[in-house]
Amino acid sequence: MSNAPALEIQGLSAKVANEDTSILKDLDLVVEPGQIHAIMGPNGSGKSTLAKVLSGHPSYQVTSGEVLYLGQSILDLEPDERALAGIFMAFQYPVEIPGVSIANFLRTALQARLGHGEELDLFDFQDQLLEAMELLEVEPSFAERPVNDGFSGGEKKRNEILQMAVLRPSLAIMDETDSGLDIDALQVVSKGVNSLHKQNPEMTILLITHYQRILDYIKPDLVHVMVDGKIVRTGGPELALELEKQGYADWKISS
Amino acid sequence: MADYSNYNSWLNESRSRAWSIYQSTPTPTTKSEEWRYTDLSKLFPLENFGLEANPETSTKKPARESLTDPINTAGRVQFTGGLVTNIQLTPAMESQGVGLDSLQNTTHEKHQEIIQANLCSHILPPESGKFQALNAALWTDGIIIYVPKNVRIEMPIRGKHHLVDNNQVVCTRTLIIAEEGSHISYVEEFRSDDFNNKRFVSSAVEIIAQKNATVDFVSVQNLGRGIFFQAAQKSLVHRDASVNTLKVTLGASLSRLDLNTQLLEPGANSKLLGLYFGDENQHFDHNTSQDHLAPHTGSDLLYKGALDGSARAAFRGIIRVGREAQQTDAYQTNRTLLLSDKARADSLPNLEIEADDVRCSHGSTVGQLDPEAVFYLLSRGSSRQQAERLVVLGFLGDVLTRLPRGAFKRVVKNVTDAVEQKLHHG
Repeated sequence: MSNAPALEIQGLSAKVANEDTSILKDLDLVVEPGQIHAIMGPNGSGKSTLAKVLSGHPSYQVTSGEVLYLGQSILDLEPDERALAGIFMAFQYPVEIPGVSIANFLRTALQARLGHGEELDLFDFQDQLLEAMELLEVEPSFAERPVNDGFSGGEKKRNEILQMAVLRPSLAIMDETDSGLDIDALQVVSKGVNSLHKQNPEMTILLITHYQRILDYIKPDLVHVMVDGKIVRTGGPELALELEKQGYADWKISS
Repeated sequence: MADYSNYNSWLNESRSRAWSIYQSTPTPTTKSEEWRYTDLSKLFPLENFGLEANPETSTKKPARESLTDPINTAGRVQFTGGLVTNIQLTPAMESQGVGLDSLQNTTHEKHQEIIQANLCSHILPPESGKFQALNAALWTDGIIIYVPKNVRIEMPIRGKHHLVDNNQVVCTRTLIIAEEGSHISYVEEFRSDDFNNKRFVSSAVEIIAQKNATVDFVSVQNLGRGIFFQAAQKSLVHRDASVNTLKVTLGASLSRLDLNTQLLEPGANSKLLGLYFGDENQHFDHNTSQDHLAPHTGSDLLYKGALDGSARAAFRGIIRVGREAQQTDAYQTNRTLLLSDKARADSLPNLEIEADDVRCSHGSTVGQLDPEAVFYLLSRGSSRQQAERLVVLGFLGDVLTRLPRGAFKRVVKNVTDAVEQKLHHG
C-alpha cells in the first residue's frame, strides 16, 4: 500500500445520472503521493465532472473504470466515507448553509472523524481554527458567520481552503479554486495552499483550472490537458504556458 | 355601565358575557377562509370536552417570594394547571413599581383598575372569535405584567406553565401593559407529558405598548401529544413603540395560533417571528395579521418551520395597510422545509394595501432539504444524519438569531436543544 499512487484512475467513464451522454470517457490518470498535478482544459471538457465523481456527488454515475485512492477502490464509498478516508474537494461553487456557522460546520466534520464516544477537544479545535484563519488572512469573527451565506466570491474560496487547513486531507481536489478571484485573493489562497503543502509534504493536490494564472503561484509537478472527457497530453509546468499562448483551440480539433 | 366596585363580580360578569358570546358563535369550519386548513370536527370536536360556564377558579393567592438569585431573570411566574401558584420578583423590579400579579387573585387596587380597563375588552374581546370567547369565558387565572413609565428591564420575566393530571381544559390569560418609554421582556414556556385522552389548552395574550415602549415576548409551546393548544394574541402598538414576538411551536397534537398586531401611530413597529417543528401527525395552524393604521409604521414577519413524518402546517398571513398608513414598511415571509414525503405545508400570504406609498413584500416557500447543502456537509465527513440535522437546525436557527442578544440566550439554547431532540427522534 505504501507504494501505491495517491490517486490512480483507470479507464474511467461517467455521465450525469439519468442522462445518456458520457462526460468522462475512458480517462486515465496517476498521481503519486505528495505531488501537485494540474488539470487544464476548455469549458465543457469534463474537469469539474471529474472532481465531482471523485468526491462522490450523487448527480453523477460511473459507467466503467476504476478509481483507486492509495491502492483502494473508492467508487463504492459514500461521500462522507471518502472524506473520512482523507479526500477533500474544494468546491468551485461553495454552497450556502444559512444559520450554520463555519465553526459549527467544521466542528461537526471533525467530530465525525473521531470514534464513538470520543469528544472533540474544543480548545485544540479553537487553536486550529484560529491558525487556519490567520493563514487565510480572515478576521477571527469569520468563523462565526454562516457558511458562505452572503459571502463574496473571494470569501467563499478562502473558506474552502480554510476548511482544507482544518481538515488536513491527504488528497485535495481543487475545483477551479481560482475562478472568480481577484489577484489579491488568489495570492492569499495560493499562499495558503502552498503553506499547507509545506507543512504536510505528503498531501497530494489535484488542481483543476481553466487558466494558467494560478500556476504562477502554485507550482505543479505535472500538467495534464483534458479535452472531451479524457487526458490528451501530459507535460511539465511549461505545458501550461504553452496552453496560455495557444489556447485550447488546437486541442479540440486534434481530439 | 354597571359599577363593578367588587372586582370578583366584575370578573364573573366578564366571564358570563363571554360565555354567551361563545355559545352564540358558531364553531369555525373549513368553509371559513381562516379555518380552511384545520378541520376541528375531525381533529378536536369541542363537544367532547364537556365545556361548561363558570370555571373552577381558586381564591388562593399565589405564593410570593423575592427573587434573590436573579441569573438573567427579572422575575418568575409558575402556572400549575391553569392557576398562578408562585410569583417571584427581584427587589429591583419591586422598587421600580413593576407589577407581576395574578389576574384572578390580585388585591392590588391599581392592578385591578388596569385589568378592568383592558382585560377581555378593547384589545382581544370575546367577539373576536369562537376561541377568543371561549378563553374569555373559561380562563381560570393568568398574569398581569405592568411596567411603569420609563422603567426599562433588560432581563426577561420567565413564565412556566405546567399541566396536572386531571386538567382536561386549561385556559389562561396574559395582560402586558408597558407604559411610555418602558421596556419589558417576557418568556413563557408550556410543557407537559403526553396524554392518551384529549385535552384543551388555551392561552390569550393582550399587549399594549405605549409611546416609545418596547415589549419583547417569546412563547415556547412544547406540550405533550393529545393536546389541542390554542392561542390568540393581540398587540396594540403606539407611537415609536415596538412589540416583538417569537412563537415557537414544537409540541401538542394540534396547535392553532391567531396573532394580530396593530400599528396604531407613527413610528410603531413590530417584529413577528415564528419557529415550528412538527413530526408524526402533528398539525400546526398559524393565522397572522399585521394591521398598519398610521403612517411610518413597520412590521416584519418571519415564520420558519420544518415538518417530518406526516405532520402538517398551515400558514395564513395578511398585511393590511390602511389608506392613511403611507410610508409603511411591511414584510411577511413563511418558509417550510418538508423532511418527509408525507409531510405537508400550505402557505397563504396576503396583502391588502390601500395606501400608495409603501414598501411591502410577502413570500412563501415550501421545499425539501437542499441536496447540495447536504452533499457539501457529507463531502467534509459528516454523516448523512448529522448533515441533515445541521441544515435543518441552521434553517430554523436563523429565526433565533433575530432575537435581541443577551436577554434571550437561555431560551435560544432551550429551543435549539428541543429541536435537536425532536430531530434525534426522527
